[in-house]
Amino acid sequence: MSKTALRQATREALANASVCSALGRFADNYVIAREQAYRHKDFEGLRREVARIKREAAERMEELADQFTREATRRGATVFRAATAQDAREYIARLARSRGIKTIVKSKSMASEEIHLNEYLKEQGLDAVETDLGEWIIQLSSQRPSHMVMPAIHLSRNEVAEIFSKEIGEPVEPDISSMVKLARRELRKKFLSAWMGISGGNIAVAETGTIVMVTNEGNGRLTTTLPPVHVIIVGLEKLVPRFTDVAPILEVLPRSATAQHITTYVTMITGAVPAVDPDGNYHEKKELHIILLDNGRTRMAGDPVFKEALQCVRCAACLNVCPIYQLVGGVFGDVYTGGIGTVLTAFFTDPQKAQQVQNLCLGCERCRDYCSGNIDLPGLIGELRRRTVEKEGMSYVQRVIFEKVLVNRGVFHRLLKAASRLQKPFTREGKIRHLPLFLAGLTEGRSLPAIAEIPFRERVDRLPRPGRVTDRVAFFSGCLVDFVYPGIGESVAKVLASLGFEMLCPEGQTCCGYPARQVGLTDSFAELARQNIAAFENINAGYVLTACPTCAEALKFLYPQLLADDPVWSKRARALAEKVTDFSSFVFAHREKLVPFMIPLKQKVTYHDSCHLKRRLRVTGEPRQLLIDAGAELVEMTPADLCCGFGGSYSIKFPELSRSVLDRKLQAVLGSGAEVVALDCPGCQMQISGGLDHERRPMRVMHTAEILASCLAGTAQAQDGKNN
Amino acid sequence: MAINKAVLPDTDRNLEKLYEEFVTRARALGAEVYRVPNLAQARELVGRLIQEMGVRKVALAESPLVTALDLATAVAGAGAEVTGGNPRERAEAADLGISSFEMAIAETGTLVQDATEINRRLVSMLPPVHLALVPTNRLVGTLQEAINSLAARGQIPGYLAFVSGPSRTADIERVLTIGVHGPGKVVIIFVDGGGSAGE
Repeated sequence: MSKTALRQATREALANASVCSALGRFADNYVIAREQAYRHKDFEGLRREVARIKREAAERMEELADQFTREATRRGATVFRAATAQDAREYIARLARSRGIKTIVKSKSMASEEIHLNEYLKEQGLDAVETDLGEWIIQLSSQRPSHMVMPAIHLSRNEVAEIFSKEIGEPVEPDISSMVKLARRELRKKFLSAWMGISGGNIAVAETGTIVMVTNEGNGRLTTTLPPVHVIIVGLEKLVPRFTDVAPILEVLPRSATAQHITTYVTMITGAVPAVDPDGNYHEKKELHIILLDNGRTRMAGDPVFKEALQCVRCAACLNVCPIYQLVGGVFGDVYTGGIGTVLTAFFTDPQKAQQVQNLCLGCERCRDYCSGNIDLPGLIGELRRRTVEKEGMSYVQRVIFEKVLVNRGVFHRLLKAASRLQKPFTREGKIRHLPLFLAGLTEGRSLPAIAEIPFRERVDRLPRPGRVTDRVAFFSGCLVDFVYPGIGESVAKVLASLGFEMLCPEGQTCCGYPARQVGLTDSFAELARQNIAAFENINAGYVLTACPTCAEALKFLYPQLLADDPVWSKRARALAEKVTDFSSFVFAHREKLVPFMIPLKQKVTYHDSCHLKRRLRVTGEPRQLLIDAGAELVEMTPADLCCGFGGSYSIKFPELSRSVLDRKLQAVLGSGAEVVALDCPGCQMQISGGLDHERRPMRVMHTAEILASCLAGTAQAQDGKNN
Repeated sequence: MAINKAVLPDTDRNLEKLYEEFVTRARALGAEVYRVPNLAQARELVGRLIQEMGVRKVALAESPLVTALDLATAVAGAGAEVTGGNPRERAEAADLGISSFEMAIAETGTLVQDATEINRRLVSMLPPVHLALVPTNRLVGTLQEAINSLAARGQIPGYLAFVSGPSRTADIERVLTIGVHGPGKVVIIFVDGGGSAGE
């Protein structure tokens, strides 16, 4: 898949109303319903337990596969280790042929999708019918599932009615209940006449040779009960050591997948059991074949980074909460979709495609909080990106920007000054509303703020200072505060001054490097990290403050990780990291000193949770309390933590997607009825105020620092966009 | 059924709590739940439900509890018939399937059955309605307890079925629809003293 093809596919998905609306509707309800399903349960504890079990299983994969094989064989099953997709496909076709079987029923199995089993069996003249309602619809319309748990979520009832009409050769009303009855009737015939059943498995217990399946419709139970031959395809990553390991996985899987406490049916099959075939003959023991599928899994287990992906239980929570998946559905991935799908695609189905698809990740990191297997999915996608760039390289222009410009402060800053002059023809009231040619996408659906004429670094001599200095704080401005929103930096200084802190702005500081990391250029990122560490090393201040959560994440979490193996720099990186804090957390700790000086704001304010502030720095309550302290009437928007769609260079790579995520955010913002949107991230500020300006909405978007500063005596209320 | 909870011993009081929790969960999933104090009343209730639901043909999966209840007689007494033919035909022809379960999980409203025997699987899946009998004293609190208890038993049965409410799907537009492949209606009868019926 090429870059252009991917872009085209995302555009088509965005234009398909039923994809967006069904996924969006589900996603909105999912978070609330899931929360309820986990009431009285310790999700964090459960997922740590699941991660522990699955990590152990991944480390002992080979040994557990052997143990499983012994135990299942002892109970009458035939176990086959399939190294590749082709091995698995051939085994099944051969088995069917040798038994003279023509009719097969299948219950839902992602592993069978992964090995493209249906197409193969069809080529071999075998009739394999999908019996999960969603999968059947997909099969009848020759599509592929767009979601691991809800394969046909992208289709509307009208589309399903059309598909069914074609199948049965008579008109079908788009009434869901009667269409479900039709499926029951049609598929019951298939069940009763099938000689082979093929299913997947959710857990494979090595200790007992047991396969555990979770289903809701009951087709899984019929597939595993009626035909006298049963084939189970199960990936090696589904192995767990002990029978008791099943419990925590069964606790998280249905809750995270569909917000159910348990699925209607949980079936545990241990060895061959009795069956009655379509001719009515009783078999004391049916034929049970279990295919343990490798197809890239042992390679994944051997990878020091990606072995973590084997902790996945396929609940698809990462899809359900992903703002991009909600918009484009199955385009985000291959057989497996969404965040985890991207990683699985790289190892199991289509490495080339994965290299393109990983670009769709917006980097909001929301999925990490919801993962049932406690996987650092954003970290894995970052690694995929890094390896892609390492292997495939990067365009010359991009490379020059990052490796020559960004790491050279002088050049970078001169370039931005030049840009500030060049943008003049396109700038009105501090906003850029249209850009020519290939830059046009940037201003599609959103205005851009103009680059400040005087950057923050040239304003430091005129910053507010405390009457009496009690302590010092160093300030890391970051690019957006420096060049786009210098007013935020000035506001920070004003708030700090009222608390008695002098603000120091070390001159050697530069871009935090996050954008370089985002495009997979680890070396440039490390170079910028070292420059910043050096710049702040000899500053006489106990804290390093930033008003940008992405910069804070880089300085506090990513630098120590990045430089962990460097004997000299790792210690220096950790020393800096310990001092780093975000603006609101710092001020919150000193709020009792601030409150007496504030002139109450008396305005309705809604707060937007920036991804990196909430998900990395775990800060949500502090800025809200500060706003209340400032006399704001806080009104929550729902959802407050939905990404704004900025994602740094993402908005340049996928402007339409970025804008569509923004549209959902704007709905939430406008629905709150607030007069001011408060936030703690200049990136989100740029995106949201750009979107509101484009919609000609008069709502103001302000950084918490700007709001607090505006409430301090001697200032008129700060105006959004008047930073120049 | 009036039970004076104040005079119950601790284990019984715990059982009452579990039963209440089960009822809440199972009803939320769309199951009907009844409880009877003894076998005689269980037999009577089965007969009454058969009449009320207008059931004509019943498929039974034998088990010690089903035998102890002498359900074949109860079915005939209610004016219905037990279906004939091979096990598939018996189940496919029935309007109602009846089988017994060995365990019930309160926190999820789940019934657990050793369904290794083929009739149990057929009568609980093919007919549109399933009637599940379970001894009340086989209630456990959590899924975790149920799994631990199965693990402690030694050999895991060949086919274990956990059932929570009627068959359901939300595959078209996320609209919940009941009874797609399995029974659209699940009726559960807790039988006090049912656990001593030779199970």
